[in-house]
Amino acid sequence: MKERNNIGWVYVFPAMSVLGLVGLIPLVTVVNYSFFEIFILDSRFWIGTEWYADLITSARFWESFARSGLFSTLILSVQIPLGVAIALCMPQREIWVGVALAFIALPLLVPWNMIPALWLSLLNPARSIIADVLVFVGWPPDWKDSVGHTWAVLVVMDVWHWTSLVVILCYSALTTIPAAHYQAAAIDSAGPWQVFRYIQLPKLRHVLLMAVLLRFMDSFMIYTEAFPINAGGPDHATLFLAVDLGEEIKAFNYGPSAARSVIYFLIIVAVAWMFTKAQAKLDDPSERAAP
Amino acid sequence: MSLSPRLVSILKSIVVWSFIAFACLPLVQMTLISFVATLPTAQVEVGTLTFGNYANIVEDPNLRSAFVNSIAYVMINILITIPVALPAAYAFSRMSFVGDRHLFLAFIAFRITPPVVLTLPIFQLFSALGIVNSVFGIALAHCLFNLPISIWILQSFISAIPKEMDETAFLDGYSRAGFMRRILVPQIAPGIAVTAFFCFMFSWVEVVFARILTTTNGKPISMAVNALFGFQTDIGLVMAVTVASMIPGAILVFVMRNHLSRGFKIGRV
Repeated sequence: MKERNNIGWVYVFPAMSVLGLVGLIPLVTVVNYSFFEIFILDSRFWIGTEWYADLITSARFWESFARSGLFSTLILSVQIPLGVAIALCMPQREIWVGVALAFIALPLLVPWNMIPALWLSLLNPARSIIADVLVFVGWPPDWKDSVGHTWAVLVVMDVWHWTSLVVILCYSALTTIPAAHYQAAAIDSAGPWQVFRYIQLPKLRHVLLMAVLLRFMDSFMIYTEAFPINAGGPDHATLFLAVDLGEEIKAFNYGPSAARSVIYFLIIVAVAWMFTKAQAKLDDPSERAAP
Repeated sequence: MSLSPRLVSILKSIVVWSFIAFACLPLVQMTLISFVATLPTAQVEVGTLTFGNYANIVEDPNLRSAFVNSIAYVMINILITIPVALPAAYAFSRMSFVGDRHLFLAFIAFRITPPVVLTLPIFQLFSALGIVNSVFGIALAHCLFNLPISIWILQSFISAIPKEMDETAFLDGYSRAGFMRRILVPQIAPGIAVTAFFCFMFSWVEVVFARILTTTNGKPISMAVNALFGFQTDIGLVMAVTVASMIPGAILVFVMRNHLSRGFKIGRV
């Protein structure tokens, strides 16, 4: 039982101050800009909700929205099951766990802007065995002109980059299950599926929720990795929401890009709200299924 | 049909090591290219094996300072994040106060706000404060996503410690601050290490803030690499810098590997 004590605010205050400075003030500025036509930042004219109206009626916006949604769905449907599977298969002996974790974490350590360069060099027939193999099997890499290839590169690249995070999070949750649970399951002669369904999955729920949320938001806003591969091409096929936004900011269209940012933020708050609702449901014992 | 335990463990190993092979394949190729001369020079022909790319990193003052900058801002970020996140995590874990759930939601919302949304106002704000082009500016901007995730991780570690320990300490005459410093921090040391590791991981590789906040000075590795791309890119050097940029993280993971898994075992994540 938690202690009811409003002194909690005092403890949270330093974190609030830092986030207020780097998060809230910029956010309020963005909301403010979204109602202006801005030529240079010192000279701007109030135009109300015109940018929002423009966006909501723009087919390009909804198309990029749908593209981002599709990309995130693909990413989640590959990364989450794969991450859980790898976490379940992790070695038992401590020494191998350390080695495996160290290798698995490596893709997370590459600076993000280097990842496209790395993958493009991997697909360059002049210096890559993988590209040679792809040419050999009659599927030469053609991500500049082929929509399917560009998407495949982006999905494989993201799976390579981020599945490790899901593995690390899930593995950490699995290690918290006491050995007694498994012993009890063995006495009841439970099969591997039953052990997963009734012992491991419930332990994973909180972490999976966080992993889904983190992976959803980061993939929904993919920018650093997507832009260098094909700059939104071919024919806008990889023009994701954030890539489009990045272009708008680069073109100094501050007003429209601010309006776009506000809409993103609202989507995010909606998703975070659903997440805390789900979290609360998991925390509430009355909602839990009977074992 | 049931598989023998031995077969199951072999199959599991195959799954894990295949994944590790997939994760390492691009890195192996990257490492190989980093040892090859990819631009013609007077001394070496293209395609020869050489340590020249690594020698270039050491000789180039821009690349050298980029490494120093990256290490500096990650350290500063950890030094800001952990002391600020710790009391907040304690409060969320132990106390129920007015608006606590909403506040937690607000914090999480900042973690998942795409950096590109806030780049322009953060740049303006930091110019006004005079911290653009400094490692401190990047370190502070990275608190936007590191602080919420740190609070979340630390909160799960603190919740794993029985509440009776707090009560016993208060009976023994500890103040809350004294309890946190003398008892709580040593108890959750592995959790603090895990949190610092996550801060390092997210901060080290971040690009969007690092780009807008460093126009001339204080460039981190990722931006120094960007500057290497041009009409004729020395891809060997680019790969060598990338390999070198992964070394601190790889050392950290290796040193902390047991600490990490032990740390995670205590946390009720």
